[in-house]
Amino acid sequence: MHDKIHRSAGELAFYAVLFIFSLVLLWSAYGISGFESLSSPGALPMAVALAMVISSGLILLDSCRNAERDSTRFFRDILPPVIIVMMLFITGYALLLVPLGFLPTSLLFLVVSILYLRRGGIVFALTVSAGALIAIYIVFRLIFTVLMPSGIVPEAEILAAFGRMFGGAQ
Amino acid sequence: MEALGYFMTPWLDLKLLFLVAAGTFAGVYVGAIPGLSVTMAVSILIGFTFTWDVYPALCLMVGIFMGGVYGGSRTAILLNIPGAPSAIATAMDGYPLAQKGLAGEAIGLSTVMSFVGGLIGIIVLAVAAPTVSDFALTFQPRDFMLLAVLGILLVGSLSGESLVKGIFAGAMGLLIGTVGMDPLTAEERFTFGYTQLWGGISFIAVMIGMFGVSEALAQLHHIEKAAVKQTISRIVPTWSAVRKYLPLSLQTSSIGVIIGALPGTGGDIAALMAYDHAKRVTKNPETPFGQGAREGLVAPETANNAAVGGAFIPMLTLGIPGDAVTAIMIGALYIHGLNPGPMLMIDQPQMFWFITGALALANIFMLIFGLTGIRIFTKIVEMPRTVLIPLILLLSIVGAYAVNNSITDVYWMLGFGVLGYFMKSYGFQLGPVILGVILSRLLDENWRRAIISEQGSLAGLFKGILTSPLSLVLFAMVVMIFVSQTPLWTAFRRKIGLEKIEHDHGAPGSGA
Repeated sequence: MHDKIHRSAGELAFYAVLFIFSLVLLWSAYGISGFESLSSPGALPMAVALAMVISSGLILLDSCRNAERDSTRFFRDILPPVIIVMMLFITGYALLLVPLGFLPTSLLFLVVSILYLRRGGIVFALTVSAGALIAIYIVFRLIFTVLMPSGIVPEAEILAAFGRMFGGAQ
Repeated sequence: MEALGYFMTPWLDLKLLFLVAAGTFAGVYVGAIPGLSVTMAVSILIGFTFTWDVYPALCLMVGIFMGGVYGGSRTAILLNIPGAPSAIATAMDGYPLAQKGLAGEAIGLSTVMSFVGGLIGIIVLAVAAPTVSDFALTFQPRDFMLLAVLGILLVGSLSGESLVKGIFAGAMGLLIGTVGMDPLTAEERFTFGYTQLWGGISFIAVMIGMFGVSEALAQLHHIEKAAVKQTISRIVPTWSAVRKYLPLSLQTSSIGVIIGALPGTGGDIAALMAYDHAKRVTKNPETPFGQGAREGLVAPETANNAAVGGAFIPMLTLGIPGDAVTAIMIGALYIHGLNPGPMLMIDQPQMFWFITGALALANIFMLIFGLTGIRIFTKIVEMPRTVLIPLILLLSIVGAYAVNNSITDVYWMLGFGVLGYFMKSYGFQLGPVILGVILSRLLDENWRRAIISEQGSLAGLFKGILTSPLSLVLFAMVVMIFVSQTPLWTAFRRKIGLEKIEHDHGAPGSGA
C-alpha cells in the first residue's frame, strides 16, 4: 500500500501500546460471556475489541515495515516541555479542585499558567485571571447554575449575604 | 398548522429568542477564534446546560452550531487560518481578497451567502425530514446496524489519512460506549471489578477530553504565533453583487444539502466540492480562482451552511450523526431524554419543528451578527493564545465536573484528553471515536435484535440482508469502503486501465 511513509518519534511505541491495550480489552471482552451466543452481552464488545486488535496490529506492522524515521524528536516535537508542564498544571488543578474549592484553584491555575506561557508580567496575569474568573463565575455559576466545589471559600454564605444586601431572596 | 406553532416557539418566546441570539453570537466568535472549534464549544456546553430544560438548551446549541460554521470563514478570510474545517475552502479566495484590502467586502458577501445557504438547507430539512422519517420506519434492526457501521466507516475513511486508523478510532469509541452494565442483561462489561464503572464512562467526559483538552494541548505548539491585525471598512454587500452570485449560490447550496445529509460527510467536504463545482461552471471569472475570485468565496460559504440543514436530516430521522458536531448534538438530545430516530417525528413532532424553527432563527441572527460588530470582532480574535488556552482548559474541567458533580469524570476527561492529544499527533482522527461512543448503544441494540429475530443464525441474518434491497445497498456500501482500501482495489484499477498512472514505480504509491 504505502511505499515510503514517515514515522515520528515515539510513534512506534504508541502503536505498540495501542496494540497491547487492544489485546487486553479483547481478553476482557471474551470474559464477559465468551462464545455463548451471537446475541450475548459480550458479542459486540468482542467484535469491536477484535477490530481494534486487527487495526492496531496492521498500523503497527505497516509502521514497522515501511516507515522511515523522520527527523522529529520526542521531547521537542511531540511532547515538548510546555505541553508536559501544562499537563501537570491541569492534573494539579483537578487534584486541588475538591479540597481547595473552585475559586482559589481556578485563580491559581490561571495565574500560574498565564505567567508560565507568557514568561513574566505578574500584574497582567493577575488582572486577566481575576477578570476572566469573575466572568466565568457570573456566567456559569450564577446564570447556568453549575455547582462547583466551594472548598475553603464560604461561597454559599457570601452569596446569601449579597442576596440580603440587595433585598433578594437567595 | 400545529407544526407552524412549534416552529414559531423560539421566535415568540423572548427567553428562547435571546438564547438563540446568544448562542449564534457566541458561535460566530467561537468559530472565528483560531484554537476554538464548534465541536469543542458544543461539547463543553453540554456539561453546562445539562440541568436546563430541553428547549433552552437546544436553542443555545443550535445557535452555536449555526454561528460556528459561519464564524470559521472570518479567520479564513482575515488570517488565512480557517477557524473550522468547513472554512478551509473559504481561505483559498477569501484571504487573497483580504490581502487586496477587500476584507470587508469578502466578509459581507460570505455572510449574505452563508445566510442563503443556511436558509436553503433549513427548507430542505423541513420538507425532506418527514418523508425520510416515514421511510425510516420501514427499516429493520439490521438496517440501523448497517447504517451505524457505515457512518463510522465513512467518517473514518473520509476525514483521516488512513481507513485503518479510522477503524481503530471508531472501534475504540464503540468499545468505550459499551463500558458499564449491559442495559439488557445487567452483566458487567469492561468494569474490571470497579463499581464506579457500572454506570459507564460519561461520554461528555470523553468528548470534552478529546475536543477540548487535546485540542488545547495541540494549540500549545503554536503559542508563539502572533495575531494579525486587520482594518475593515464597509461590509454590507451591494444588492447587485448579491444578485450576481445568487444563481451560483443556489447550485452550491444543493451540493451542500446533499453532502451534509449523507452520513459521514459534513460541511468541510461540501465546501470543497462546491468550490470545485464553482471552478468548473465559472467560465470567465473576473479574478482567477485562488487569487481572490468572489465565486470561490460564495460557493464554499453557501455549501457549508446549507450542509447544516442537511446534516440534521439523518441526525433527527435516523439517529445517525454525519460528523463529530452532529454526534455531539445527538449526545445532547439523549441527555435531555430525547431519542433521535424515526420515532421522534411520531412521538415528539414538536421537537423536530422546534429545532427547525431555532435553526431558521439562528440563521437570521447569523446574518445580523455577521454584518455588524466587526470592530469588537477584530479585538476578540486578537486575544492571545497564552490566555485563551488556560481558559479552554479551565472550562473543560468545569464542564466535565458539572454533569455529575464527579471528580472521577474530570480524571476520565483528562485521560482522554492526553490520549486524544497523542492520537492526533500520530495522525488519528478523533471524530470516529465520538461517533463510536454515540452509536454504540444503537449498534449493540440493533445487532442483538437483528440476530435474535433470526434465532441466532448468522446465515439467516445474511439471507435477510441479501433479500432486502435497502439492506443490500447499505451492505454493499460497507463492503465497498473496505474494498476501496485494499490492494485488491488498486489491482482492479490497474486492470481497468489506470495502470499507466500508477506504473511509475519510483513515485510514491497511491496511499491509503
